Amino acid sequence: MGIHLYRIDDRLIHGQVVVGWGQPLNIRFLVLVDDLVASSDWEKELYRMAIPPEMEIYFADVGSAIRDHARYAADPRPGLLITSDIASMHRLVNGVKAIGSVNLGGIHHRAGRAEKLRYIFLTPDEERQLRELEAAGIEVTAQDVPSARAVPLAEVLEGESR
Amino acid sequence: MTAPTSRAVDLPVRVKLAMHFRLLALQGSWNYETLNGTGIGFAMEPALRYLPGGIDGPAYRAALARESRYFNAHPYLAGIGVGALVRAELDGVDPARIERFRTALAGPLGSVGDRLVWASWLPFCSLVAIGVYGAGGSPMGVVGTFLLLYNAGHILLRAWGLRIGLSRGLNVASALGSPVLRQGPQYIGYAAALVAGVALPLALQRVAGPGRGLAGGIIGAALIGILLLARLREHAEGWRIALGVLAIFVLYSVLT
Repeated sequence: MGIHLYRIDDRLIHGQVVVGWGQPLNIRFLVLVDDLVASSDWEKELYRMAIPPEMEIYFADVGSAIRDHARYAADPRPGLLITSDIASMHRLVNGVKAIGSVNLGGIHHRAGRAEKLRYIFLTPDEERQLRELEAAGIEVTAQDVPSARAVPLAEVLEGESR
Repeated sequence: MTAPTSRAVDLPVRVKLAMHFRLLALQGSWNYETLNGTGIGFAMEPALRYLPGGIDGPAYRAALARESRYFNAHPYLAGIGVGALVRAELDGVDPARIERFRTALAGPLGSVGDRLVWASWLPFCSLVAIGVYGAGGSPMGVVGTFLLLYNAGHILLRAWGLRIGLSRGLNVASALGSPVLRQGPQYIGYAAALVAGVALPLALQRVAGPGRGLAGGIIGAALIGILLLARLREHAEGWRIALGVLAIFVLYSVLT
């Protein structure tokens, strides 16, 4: 089993993750990779409340996620790994060679970001990092929920799917 | 830690009522840039007038701008966020801490709300309404039962959320761990299964009537539906299916 989905979503754990993806993929554990959350007890407590009783959650900063990735991948249960930003996923992918695909689930509006899809807004630097991921052989697609179409990165960057 | 007493708890009842009514309009300004952030700011605004300097003061303007930024939560549980953020603002919590809290709170409110409402409460209410149809209810009875039950649930949830947010402030995580929110979806699911076991046969019996002419067709359609659901799996969303089935029964009861 191991990790079924590597997702970038600035909301981290929310309904689309727990219900939208969690139920059809029968997700049983989540790995939340975020340097700030991993060092904040009150934030971890909040995110623990976000998951249903049947799911387990692990918190990790990027460094420890790279170190522990083999353990997550060997877990007999289906899992989902999530980062809040592209930079964290980029570092993770550079440190773990076993990741084959990345899902863009939600990167929302902020000053300096341009709209690509309704739920994807990117800065030029974030675009560059995504291109680097794809150049490294990672399949990058945007798909907020399983019932939506997976939009390939090239199409996302052109903004044609709006 | 949040102080045991707070100006937020002592807000006049009319202000709390204004916040509650404004929460009903939370989605009115929903957009892809701020999602329901503008609605959050709008719902908090009556309480933010109590910041030092009132509506002409810099504290009010800064707080309103901060709280109207991007936010994404389940609308029925957003009251928890509105209450907790009002308390944090009125207690003078450091804005950087408020921003971080705001970011961390949104996801859990969405996750818990989606599980409780979209994945549990809405299908449950739909099944009860189908049961009313099966028991011989009129079209108005079916729709009325659904609306009454569903709206009672979400209005109570909103009122509880605002109250608990105001009273707990930044310590609201413990409220999200309440058995109703943690275990509620599971037990509502059990209840929905029980209701489905009673309601669907009754409703189908009413559709089929005393003869056996339609029974074969209904069984065939049910089997096809089950196969389609198994095939679609991750592409089928429970709340859409529940509302769709309810709509079919309501339409049928109107047309026959």
